Amino acid sequence: MNKSDVMLLCVSPRHKGTSAMLLERIRVVTGGKLFFLPQKGNLDELVVSMQEAGTIIISGPCYINTYPARMLELLETASLTGKFSGQKLYGIINGGMPYIHTHQHGLICLQLFAEQNHLLWQGGFVLGVGAMLDGKPLEKHMNRRTVVPAFNKFIQNISEGIQSPDSLYIKAQSPPGKLTTRIFAKFLTFLVEKNLKKYGQDPEAPNYYLRKQDDGKQNGSR
Amino acid sequence: MIVIISDDSRGNWGQTLEEAILHIGVQVIRFSADTLQIKPCTACNCCSGKTFGRCIIQDDMQLLFPEIVVCHALVLVSPVIFGNVSHHIKKVMDRMAALGDPRYRVRDGEMVKGMSRQGMTYFMVGIGDDLNEAEHSAFLSLHQENRKIMSVKGQTFILDSRMDKVSLNNIVQEIIHE
Ligand SMILES: Cc1cc2nc3c(=O)[nH]c(=O)nc-3n(C[C@H](O)[C@H](O)[C@H](O)COP(=O)(O)O)c2cc1C
Repeated sequence: MNKSDVMLLCVSPRHKGTSAMLLERIRVVTGGKLFFLPQKGNLDELVVSMQEAGTIIISGPCYINTYPARMLELLETASLTGKFSGQKLYGIINGGMPYIHTHQHGLICLQLFAEQNHLLWQGGFVLGVGAMLDGKPLEKHMNRRTVVPAFNKFIQNISEGIQSPDSLYIKAQSPPGKLTTRIFAKFLTFLVEKNLKKYGQDPEAPNYYLRKQDDGKQNGSR
Repeated sequence: MIVIISDDSRGNWGQTLEEAILHIGVQVIRFSADTLQIKPCTACNCCSGKTFGRCIIQDDMQLLFPEIVVCHALVLVSPVIFGNVSHHIKKVMDRMAALGDPRYRVRDGEMVKGMSRQGMTYFMVGIGDDLNEAEHSAFLSLHQENRKIMSVKGQTFILDSRMDKVSLNNIVQEIIHE
């Protein structure tokens, strides 16, 4: 692997979040240049950087079970431009839920993009419970005992320029059991409701857009 | 009321579906996501805190929220691109987080979330010619995961761009009867 042609691309709008933290961890080992996906404007310049790279590592959050919209826009733009020539592509997706299957679509989509555009798909890493981490080091992860060595091995695979198997991240993160799931759901809901109450919001209230329509109807009938 | 949100940049599929639904006398409203000005979600978290249930980004998505929040069926129509929806449709999906219930629940032993208003059915119509097995199953699995995390019912359909009348009518029947 040529350290100077490694492109690390963070596709989260949050520059200090978990996606960026994971890339920074990789960069310490592989070197290369860190890019952030611009959230507005033309993406052509970024596509040129992708075409010029030898190895591309994309890291992003899971939004509604796959990568965010702007990342899909990048893939569509890159595909229209074409001109890829065997660049190695690795992907990372992290989401709040403690599961693999809820986030895995992102990597499948990236693999299909690679296969249809003459890039070399080299595998990826799905990370659950990424929201709780919120950009903090991987050593703070709930499953750090298994996740840290697995992610370090993923980094090693990148620096050796070899394929990284899905089994690496799957084995490192088993889903929580029934009791833990219930406790987890209650605890996270408690945090959500506490946050809402802090802002004077009622967690039981109908959605804002529904309330607005109801208010409109009442005012209209007076 | 049925709400169709379509990406019509590669064909008039949304309009074709709308006409088929109107033809049988069901109320429907359609938006072409590719012609609207919709910005990507910035993950500001306001909608699950400070401005609970309201997205603070002022753009055309504000026209869609009041329609989606009351609809009985939401139908997203998109070209299948790398086993995914197009970025135009995905922008709508990401921004719809504002209509979600941020609290967690457990279903089939797993944590899921839900929508702030129960009872909406959620359909996805993917359009693509000569899709391979991987693209097909990726598209189906995305919608399946969406339905689980949103705790909603619905179905996924994949059609080729010619959208023949029989398949179209089958979809319409499924949508109005679900
Ligand atoms: C619009 C939106 C949609 C999201 N959808 C999901 C989801 O479907 N599943 C999930 O586990 N987490 C979801 N999340 C949570 C993020 O994936 C999570 O916070 C992630 O750690 C953010 O990564 P980042 O810090 O790199 O931005 C969503 C967040 C946002 C803002």
